[in-house]
Amino acid sequence: MNKKVIFSILVLFAFTSTFAQKGDKKLDRSIRPKAAEAPGIKLGDIQSFVLPNGLKVFVVENHKQATVAYSIALDIKPSLEKDAVGTANMTSELMTSGTKNRTKDQLDNDIDFIGATLTANPKGLYAASLKKQQTKLLELMSDVLLNPNFKQEELEKVKTQTLSGLAQQKDDPDAISENVKSVLNFGANHPYGELTTEESVSKISIEKCNAYYQAYFRPNVAYMAIVGDVTLAEVKPLIEKYFGAWQKADVVSTNYPMPLAPEKTRVAVVNKAGAVQSVINVTYPVDLKLNSEDAIKAKVMNTILGAGFSSRLFVNLREKHGYTYGSYSSLNNDELVSEFSAYAKVRNAVTDSSLTEIMAELNRLRTEKVPQDELDGIKNYLTGNFAISLEDPATIARFAINIELYKLPKDYYANYLKNLAAVTSDDVYAMAQKYIRPDNATILVVGDKEELSKKLAPFSATKNIEFYDIYGNVVASVAKPIPAGVTSKTVINDYVNAIGGATALLKVKDVSTKMNTKLQGMDISITTSQKAPNKYAMSVKMGEMVIQKEVYDGKVGKQQSMQGKKDIDGDGLDDIKAQATMNLEMNYEKLGYKLNLKGIEAVNGKDAYILEVVSPKGKKSTEWYAVESKLKVRNSQITTSEAGPMTNTTDFLEYKDVEGVKFPSIIAISGAMSMKLTAETITVNKGISDTEFTIK
Amino acid sequence: MKLKSIIVSGLLLGSSYLSAQSSKTTPSNTVKYSQYELPNGLHVILHEDHSTPIVAVTVLYHVGSKNEDPMRTGFAHFFEHLMFEGSDNIKRGEYMKLVQNAGGQMNANTSFDRTFYYEILPSNQLELGLWMESERMLHLKIDSIGLETQRKVVKEELKQRNENTPYGSILNEAFGHAYTVHPYRWTPGGSPEYINKAAMSEFIDFYKTFYVPNNATLSIAGDINVAQTKAMIEKYYSTIPKGTKAIPRPTVVEPVKTAEVRDTVYDNIQLPGVIMAYHAPAQGTPDYYAMNMLATILSQGKSSRMQKAIVDKQQKAVFAGAFPVPSEDPGLTLVFGIANMGVSPTDLEAAMNAEFEKVKTELITEEEFQKLRNQTENDFISGNLKMAGIAENLANYSVYYKDANLINTEIDRFMKVTREDIQKAAQKYLTKENRVVLYYLPKQE
Repeated sequence: MNKKVIFSILVLFAFTSTFAQKGDKKLDRSIRPKAAEAPGIKLGDIQSFVLPNGLKVFVVENHKQATVAYSIALDIKPSLEKDAVGTANMTSELMTSGTKNRTKDQLDNDIDFIGATLTANPKGLYAASLKKQQTKLLELMSDVLLNPNFKQEELEKVKTQTLSGLAQQKDDPDAISENVKSVLNFGANHPYGELTTEESVSKISIEKCNAYYQAYFRPNVAYMAIVGDVTLAEVKPLIEKYFGAWQKADVVSTNYPMPLAPEKTRVAVVNKAGAVQSVINVTYPVDLKLNSEDAIKAKVMNTILGAGFSSRLFVNLREKHGYTYGSYSSLNNDELVSEFSAYAKVRNAVTDSSLTEIMAELNRLRTEKVPQDELDGIKNYLTGNFAISLEDPATIARFAINIELYKLPKDYYANYLKNLAAVTSDDVYAMAQKYIRPDNATILVVGDKEELSKKLAPFSATKNIEFYDIYGNVVASVAKPIPAGVTSKTVINDYVNAIGGATALLKVKDVSTKMNTKLQGMDISITTSQKAPNKYAMSVKMGEMVIQKEVYDGKVGKQQSMQGKKDIDGDGLDDIKAQATMNLEMNYEKLGYKLNLKGIEAVNGKDAYILEVVSPKGKKSTEWYAVESKLKVRNSQITTSEAGPMTNTTDFLEYKDVEGVKFPSIIAISGAMSMKLTAETITVNKGISDTEFTIK
Repeated sequence: MKLKSIIVSGLLLGSSYLSAQSSKTTPSNTVKYSQYELPNGLHVILHEDHSTPIVAVTVLYHVGSKNEDPMRTGFAHFFEHLMFEGSDNIKRGEYMKLVQNAGGQMNANTSFDRTFYYEILPSNQLELGLWMESERMLHLKIDSIGLETQRKVVKEELKQRNENTPYGSILNEAFGHAYTVHPYRWTPGGSPEYINKAAMSEFIDFYKTFYVPNNATLSIAGDINVAQTKAMIEKYYSTIPKGTKAIPRPTVVEPVKTAEVRDTVYDNIQLPGVIMAYHAPAQGTPDYYAMNMLATILSQGKSSRMQKAIVDKQQKAVFAGAFPVPSEDPGLTLVFGIANMGVSPTDLEAAMNAEFEKVKTELITEEEFQKLRNQTENDFISGNLKMAGIAENLANYSVYYKDANLINTEIDRFMKVTREDIQKAAQKYLTKENRVVLYYLPKQE
C-alpha cells in the first residue's frame, strides 16, 4: 500500500524532471556525466586534554551510533629482543590474560558480558563497546593496563599457541614471504628484522614480559583517542578516575642504524616444494618518513605504479597478461625505516615473465615522465580516498595522533589536499629516481625451487641465486670447490670405513631397527628389517595397530595398508629393491649406479660432500656425506604427487654403534610432512626368519 | 591469528572480484530510506546522509552460484569479472580507470545467492556512478581478448584462494559433502574446468536472463539530494528494457539427512583440523535466529564455550568456533577446530562434541543469556556507520525478506529468542545425523 503511493508520486515526479532537463526524448548515452561542483571536505573537530601523568587525550565526537571506542598508542622505540623475540607480543597477550583483581576467566567473562572488545598489543590498547556500557569498559581497560598479573601458567598457554601458529606459517607462502622479506630488508640487528622462532619462544620468561611492561607502558609516552557518542565534558572525569593513577617513568628510546638497500640486485628463493603459485616481491628498505617533504609526492608516485585497480602493475600483469589475480606495490612511511615492495602471486610457469614485467614497470617510471592525464587521474583518486576515509571518525583521531607522533605541522591534514594537488609530473619523476631502485633490490620468490631456479638467475646481478629457509637463514649457498684427490669413490670408501669398515659390514647378516615418533598426538613406531643379501620389511604401527607394511623377499614386493593388499611394481619396486640391498653404498659401482660428486655445502651447519646418485634405471637422488665425520648426513629425493613435485629429505642426525657397525639412531624426515624418529632398539644378527619378508 | 581471518573471510564471501571486504552490519539507530520501483522492474532504495561528502552506488543482482547449471559451476562469479569489461560506451580497461579517476573505489562479490557491485564516490560524481552501472545493465560488451584474460585471472584467483592457502578448500569440501541435490553443493568459485568450456553465446544468454532491471536492486546511500537522484535514475535506467526471459530459481529441496557423513581431506597444513557442517534453517526463520545466537554462545569472545573450554582450558585447539553461513535456502552452520600441536583430531572432535552435548542437555543460565543478548545488541548497533554497508544491507533485506526496514528492526527477532529456543535448536540441529565431519590432515606420501 505504502509502496504504491510512493511509487505513483515518483512516476509523476520523474516525468516532470526529465522534461525539465531535456526537452529531447532520446538520451545520448555516449555523453559521460560531468562531475557536479566539488563538495567541501571538512575535517571533524578534535578536542584534547592532558592528565598530570602526561597522558594526552584526544576526543572526536560522533553521535551517529550509540557506541564509543578508546584506544591508547605508545610512542616508543623498544630495544632489540635478541634471543627472546616475541616477548613484546606475549606481554600484550598476558595483559589480557588476567589481572591482580580478576582471573583470566573473570576478565574474559566481564568483557564478553557487556558485549565489548578489549585487546592489547605491544604498542597500545584498544577497547570498544556500546556507550551505555562505557563505565564498565573503562574499569576493565584500566585494570588490564594498570594491574596485569603475569602468570607462568598463562605464559605456557600463550607459548603453546604461538608454537602452533609458527607451525601453521610453515605452509603459508605469504607468511613465509613476509618473514624472509623483513630479515633480508632489515637484518637481524634491527627490530623489524627479528623473527619469532621456536627457539626464541623458549627463551621468553615472565621476568622479560614484566620488564617490557614496566619499561614501555607509561602514560608520559602515551596518546589516547576517544571516538564516539560522547562529549569531552563527560569523559574527562572518567579518564581522570581510571587512568590518573597510571605511574609515569622515564622511557628509554633506542635508535638504530638505517638499513641499506643491496648494492646490486640479488635473487633470493625460499623453496616451497609443490607450490602451485610463486609469491614474488621486489623489495628494499627505504628512508622515507611521514614528515618528509617527499611523503605526499612519493605516495602519488607509488599509487601510479601499484596501488588501486588502474595502477600500472595491476593493468599490466592482470588485465593485459592474465598472470595474476592482483599485482600491487607498497611504499610506507615509518619512523625507523620504510620499505618498498612490488608484489604479485603468479602461476609457476609465468614467474620469470611476471618479473620481467614488474622490472619493466619500475624502469619505465624512472625513464619516462608520467603523462598529465594519468597524473590527474591518480590525484583525483587520492583526493577521493581522503574524503572516503573521513567517513570513519577514527581517521580524525589518527590524524591528531600522527601530528604528535611524527612531529607534523599542525595544519598538515588541513593542507593535505592542497599539497596533493600541487604534485607535478617532474615531482613524480624525481621521486622515482630517489625511491624506485630496480638495480638495488632483493627479488624474493617463495615457490617451487625446482621450477624456478634456472629461470630466475638472469635477474640477479651476479647471476647467482641465494636460497633461504623460512626464517631467512642461508641454506645451501654456492657449493664450495672439491679438494684435490677427493672423488665419489673416496667419499664412499671413507663412509664405509667410518661406519665400521667392509669386514665388519659383511658380518652383518640381518638387522632390525625399531624407531618411534609422535604424529598428531599419536604414538607411531616404524620397524625396518633387512636380511642379506636382499630381503626387506617395514611396518608402521599406530599404537598397537599395524597401519602399513611393506615387504620384499628378494623377488616380489608387497604392500599392505588399511586399503588392503597390493603388489609393488614399477618405480616402487625399483625403490624397495634398492632399500633391500644390504650395504648398498658399498656396491653402488657393482650394481651399475652412477655417482657424481657435485661439491660441498653445509648441512645442519657442517660441510658435506654432495653426491648425486643415479640408479641403473636413471632415477636421481642426492646424498650428503660430512667432510669431517665422513658419515652420511642427508639424502633427498624428488617424488611426484598430486600436488606436483615434492622434495623429501631425510637427515641422519645421530649414529649408534652396534656390534662394530654404526647405524642411524635419530633421523628427521621432512618434505610433505616433518617428523623426527628416535631408535628404541637396533638389533643385529638375531636370525630373522624368512617369513618376516612375505605377506600372505 | 591469521587463520581466523582466512576462515571468516572465506565464509562471508564465497568469492569476490578484487579481494573484497564484506561488511556484516546491522544498526539500531533508525536508518531512514525511501524506495520505489521503475516500470521496468528495477527496485530503487535511497538513503540520505550528509555527514561525509561521499556516496555509495550499489547494484545487487539476484543471481548467485545456486542459479548455475551444474555443468557450468563458477559461471556467476566468472561473469562478475566480465561485468568490468566495458559497454557500448565504455572501452575495455576503462571501467576501473573511470572510477579511480573520479576519486572513487569499487569492487564486486558473488555469493551463493546474489552478485553485488558497488562504487564509493565523492558525492559530486554520483551521476557518473549511475551512468556506469546503467551502461553495464543495458549493453555490456565482452570481446574475446577480455574473455581469455579473465579466464586466466579467475584461475589464478581460485588457485590463490583454494590451493595455495592452507585450509583454503574448507568451504568447497563442507558444502560439497553436505549437499547431494541442492545447488549449494558447489561454491561460488565453482570448478575451473568449466570456465574454459563456456561459449560466448552462453554468457550472452546468462546476461539476458539474470542481468535485467527486474532482477536488480539499485541501492544508494550518502550525501545525495533525493529529488535530483531520482531524476538521474529516471534518465539512465527508465529506458533499460525489462527482461523477457523467465528467471530460473532452484526449487529443489535437499532431503533431510539420516546419517552422518565423514571424510578426510589432505592439505598442505601442519595442524590437523576438524570441520563440522550442520544443516541449518534458512535465514530469517525463527530457528535461524536461535541457531545464530547458539553459535555466539559457542564461539564469540574469549569466554565463549568453545574458546574457553577447548582453546584456553584444555589447550586442544589454536582456534575453535561455530559460524552460521547466511543463505536464502536452508544452509549450513560450520564448526571449526584447528588442533594445537600434538593434539589428535579424534581428541579435538571429542572435545567439540562434549560442548554440543552440554548445550543440548543443560539450559543456559540467566547470566549467560544476558551476556548473549548484550553481545547481540552490541553487534547490531555497532554496524551501519559506513554508507557502503548501509546500501548493501538495505538491498539484502529488501531482496531476501522483501522488507528493507529490517535494517532497523531485525534486532527484535533476535530478542524474541528464549533460552529454551536455543536449547531446542541445539537438540534439533546439532545431531550426528545432521552433520558432515571432515578431518583435515597434513599431506603425506
